[in-house]
Amino acid sequence: MPPFPSQAEVEETLKRIQSQNGVQGIIIVNTEGIPIKTTLDNASTVQYAGLIHQLVMKARSTVRDIDPQNDLTFLRVRSKKNEIMIAPDKDAFSNKTSFLLY
Amino acid sequence: MAEVEETLKRIQSQNGVQGIIIVNTEGIPIKTTLDNASTVQYAGLIHQLVMKARSTVRDIDPQNDLTFLRVRSKKNEIMIAPDKDYFLIVIQNPSD
Repeated sequence: MPPFPSQAEVEETLKRIQSQNGVQGIIIVNTEGIPIKTTLDNASTVQYAGLIHQLVMKARSTVRDIDPQNDLTFLRVRSKKNEIMIAPDKDAFSNKTSFLLY
Repeated sequence: MAEVEETLKRIQSQNGVQGIIIVNTEGIPIKTTLDNASTVQYAGLIHQLVMKARSTVRDIDPQNDLTFLRVRSKKNEIMIAPDKDYFLIVIQNPSD
């Protein structure tokens, strides 16, 4: 199992992503859909986290229903106003998913 | 109809494209380059996923709407372009 990044590394990565052009927000949620890190205000975070968590679960089960050996690695939801990118953690033992609002 | 065929042919000839399915708003496939069984399976499951994605976007902001969806998995990538009356689904192997 790969070592978990240190708190400092996580902060670094978030800062790097946040400084990209157009990034509106970053949220990290655990497998229960509870936000554990965010660059947005509380209300938006809770709203996004809850709704997107459900969508990711649906996307993941869609992929697995088509092929049980397959698994979701990334999801991009493009809308008129923005794009939401979701990276579920590849490590099966880890329990975090990142959402990036762009 | 000829334009549709043209477009499908153009997409199908891209490297890595494994299949194209067009479904109507009820999720019924109306055009496909895959076999029947796969088509029905993909169409049904993806239709539900798109409905979920669309309502997620609208729940966050009722003025917003879904314009595209990309589902990347270990084995392939599924791209869905929803339209008013149809969805276009393209399955590709992104490493090709």
